[in-house]
Amino acid sequence: MAVTQNEVVQPQAIKPWKFNLKPMIIGMIILIGIFGLARWYQQWAAWDYGLDATDPMFDVYWMQVFWGEIIIEVILFFTFVGYLWMTRDKHLNNLSPRVELTRLMLWISMLVVYAFAFYFAGSFYAEQDATWHQTVVRDTSFTPSHIFLFYMSMPVFIILGFSLFFYAITRLPFFARKISVSLVIVVCGPFMLLPTVGYNEWGHAFWLMEEYFTVPLHWGFVFFGWTIIALSGVLIQVMKYMIELLPQVTNSKGELTS
Amino acid sequence: MISSKKKLPAMRILLTKAIFTMVLMCIAGTAFAHGERNQEPFLRMKTLHWYDMQWSVANDATVQVNDEVTMTGKVHFFSRWPEIISWPDTVFLGNATPGPVFVRKETYLNGVPMIQSTAVEPGRVYDFKVILKARIPGRHHVHPMFNVKSAGGLVGPGIWVNVAGDADDFVYSITTRTGVVIDNLGTYGVENVVKWHLIWAGFAVFWLIWWFRRPLIIQRYLLVKQGNWKELITNNDRKLAVLLLVSIITLIIYANDITREAYPRTIPLQGSKSEVDPSPDLNDGRVVVKNLLAEYYLPGRTVLIKAQVTNNAKSAIQLGEFTAANLRFINKSVPAAVKGVQDGYPEELMANDTLGVSDPSPIQPGETRVFMIEATDAAWETERLSSLLNDPDSSYGALLFFYTEEGERIVSEIYGQILPTFFD
Amino acid sequence: MSLTADEAQLLSAVNTPNSDAAKISRGLDMFVVAILFFAIIAAFHIHFMLTVGDWDFWVDWKDRMYWVTLTPMLLIFIPAALSYPFMQKFGLPISGTLCALCLAIGEWISRYFGFHLWTYFPFSMVWPAIVIPSLMIMDLILLLSRNLFITSIFGGSAVAFAFAPTNWPILAPYHIPVVHMDQLVNVADMIGYSFTRTATPEYLRFIERGTLRTFGGESTIISTFFSAFVCMILYFVWWKIGEWLTNLGTIPNVLKEYVGLGDDKNDK
Repeated sequence: MAVTQNEVVQPQAIKPWKFNLKPMIIGMIILIGIFGLARWYQQWAAWDYGLDATDPMFDVYWMQVFWGEIIIEVILFFTFVGYLWMTRDKHLNNLSPRVELTRLMLWISMLVVYAFAFYFAGSFYAEQDATWHQTVVRDTSFTPSHIFLFYMSMPVFIILGFSLFFYAITRLPFFARKISVSLVIVVCGPFMLLPTVGYNEWGHAFWLMEEYFTVPLHWGFVFFGWTIIALSGVLIQVMKYMIELLPQVTNSKGELTS
Repeated sequence: MISSKKKLPAMRILLTKAIFTMVLMCIAGTAFAHGERNQEPFLRMKTLHWYDMQWSVANDATVQVNDEVTMTGKVHFFSRWPEIISWPDTVFLGNATPGPVFVRKETYLNGVPMIQSTAVEPGRVYDFKVILKARIPGRHHVHPMFNVKSAGGLVGPGIWVNVAGDADDFVYSITTRTGVVIDNLGTYGVENVVKWHLIWAGFAVFWLIWWFRRPLIIQRYLLVKQGNWKELITNNDRKLAVLLLVSIITLIIYANDITREAYPRTIPLQGSKSEVDPSPDLNDGRVVVKNLLAEYYLPGRTVLIKAQVTNNAKSAIQLGEFTAANLRFINKSVPAAVKGVQDGYPEELMANDTLGVSDPSPIQPGETRVFMIEATDAAWETERLSSLLNDPDSSYGALLFFYTEEGERIVSEIYGQILPTFFD
Repeated sequence: MSLTADEAQLLSAVNTPNSDAAKISRGLDMFVVAILFFAIIAAFHIHFMLTVGDWDFWVDWKDRMYWVTLTPMLLIFIPAALSYPFMQKFGLPISGTLCALCLAIGEWISRYFGFHLWTYFPFSMVWPAIVIPSLMIMDLILLLSRNLFITSIFGGSAVAFAFAPTNWPILAPYHIPVVHMDQLVNVADMIGYSFTRTATPEYLRFIERGTLRTFGGESTIISTFFSAFVCMILYFVWWKIGEWLTNLGTIPNVLKEYVGLGDDKNDK
């Protein structure tokens, strides 16, 4: 295929290389917007309306947010994944290396957005959960902290992770030809943090009544957090991909050939 | 005419709805509880009972940042302590507030300082005192609280306290045993912490930039594959590594040396337990109460108890109060009981109606009497105590306050199964 | 090991200054650094906070026994696992340093926005421990030895050996004795007592409470030594886990015919 491509493309048609950073920057701005707004909302509504789950105002200010975000997230998940699948490239066996490289770079830039979303779930909102529950008496599974940690931050990176996975298997031949186990782990491991909430809530309801963060009922999150180490596997596969791809679009002097 | 007649009830309904919504907004906009309403009633009713609560400020009073608020009262640890909760041999007295909006200045149980945890005896009463110091402005609900090991927080009745002023004006100064004056406990030592974090972050950033300034990924991957380690890790890298290793170790040694000089006398975290004796048992068998039958009548939000009371005291007694999980039902025909209600006690925890007693006449010394107690209030619902009908243990616990003719109070426990009545 | 022709061409291409290939390569570097930065903060921080977080959150949990024993042990998991790909695949002895810096950044952001702004705790109560020197020494020993066993023994143990002495200069001021309500405590106890942590009372602290035999009060040294021993083993084990997770292969894609890759003969 590469040979065919070289034959077809005229030397004067070579466009200079440019990174397309727009989707990444927009993605990060949107994430900062969403997570910043959520943090502001917590500051505004948590102490006044979030201490007592039996209070009707709790329903107004917190449970409505919960149901709203759940509905939006389910819609977004199927929209993103569905769109990527429906608009898939049906001729990956006939893809020009230059387009392939552009796609790969875009995909990698969006991995930055995925990692950024994971930061909010794994670090920012996760540790904030400690301070909230160690400071107030927990009386529901849907606390002002959980509503944004489990039911917003986690779905956000799950949506992004699955979208990236589907982008890879529908637009990047290297990842479409065979499924990368590392990539599956990098997407599905963090995804499993959400179902682990079941263990967490069971533990808080029936097992350990007190609040310290290192309780064994939290270790499900730890286990699935480890899966992000498999990013190194994805990185190695990207290396192999680059070694396969770059020589098709550049010569030994580093100039673009297609 | 007909149409206007029809309109009137419709408008009335609308108006009623509007008023109801406004009332709901007013009540609900203020979070009375700190999550305790979702604790199972059978546990709340058979663990702690708080009474004789006094606050140094009125309900909804305004204090300034740095002002003190004192809570005092009695706390009764129920003798039929639920089996599924650990025995209260490790408990901690504190305050349920929205986080550290107040600083906990002093706490005492029967006069013993409660800076550490302690053990208590079920069936006994303790006097507690909690002194708080206002720190963060806002409208805060302030309760006393006991943390009980393996059970979590058990919250007492709370009042509203408004804190006015500026949080930046808050100071909490202490003097150490070594004579050092700490101007503000909240900022003490922070500068030193930040300084050392920055110094070490400087090392890390330097080391990372040292590597990141070179081509990183593709080149190095290929060089590794080539086995070209001389180019991957140069002699300069090695020299720098040795220099950094020596610097880090030297700096750690130096830092510890100056710390030893600056703080020659330190002690580890203190992990002991306080010892406290309970107050004398003032009942001491003078009034013996037995639960014969208890029912929760759902449509009327009423608890009906058939009780047998034996008066072994020297004078006649009358039942003046029934209290469970901070809810108080007062027999308004007993003056001493009415007098026992402190000003500013949270209204939502006081029953509007009088406590019903089927035979209100005084129980004479030596007499054993069976009578009905009727405690009715919507608070059974709002405080979610009626949810005991959904719990795996349909039992209840409460305190009965009897008053002698001389006005002396004798406190008794009552406990037993409670049966639901679902229909009229 | 020698490079294939394609690889040699690529190496020459990316090494040509200002070439397109060099630009693409450097762009990739930047993306990877950004991905690693955020992903490591997330993964390392969640691991750390849920295994030894309480000791790190609160000044009155930082004791001589559990804090000193457990923190280095749990600290080494992810840096050790990432040491494998960083060093063995890219020749970069930076895994520990990067993890430590990322953790510190994640923690300070969280302590400020969560603990301080949201739940009103003062910084004197919620500062994080310093872990950079511990993990940096581990990196430096890996660089100098380029040997898994030597790094396990000297680098792994260094994580524990450096931990308590690194943190003592910031912790010592909080261990000055104080008498409050006629009770002897230290400043850290006093801070923990004063600033209400409603659901985490005093007795919940996992701290040294005495065992009758800590041999002359050398608790910190004993804890450090035990921790160092476990760190040696953990470094090796987690290096191997990192190796395994880095070298995972592929599985067949049953959906590939939907993207035009059904017939293997026509594939590249």
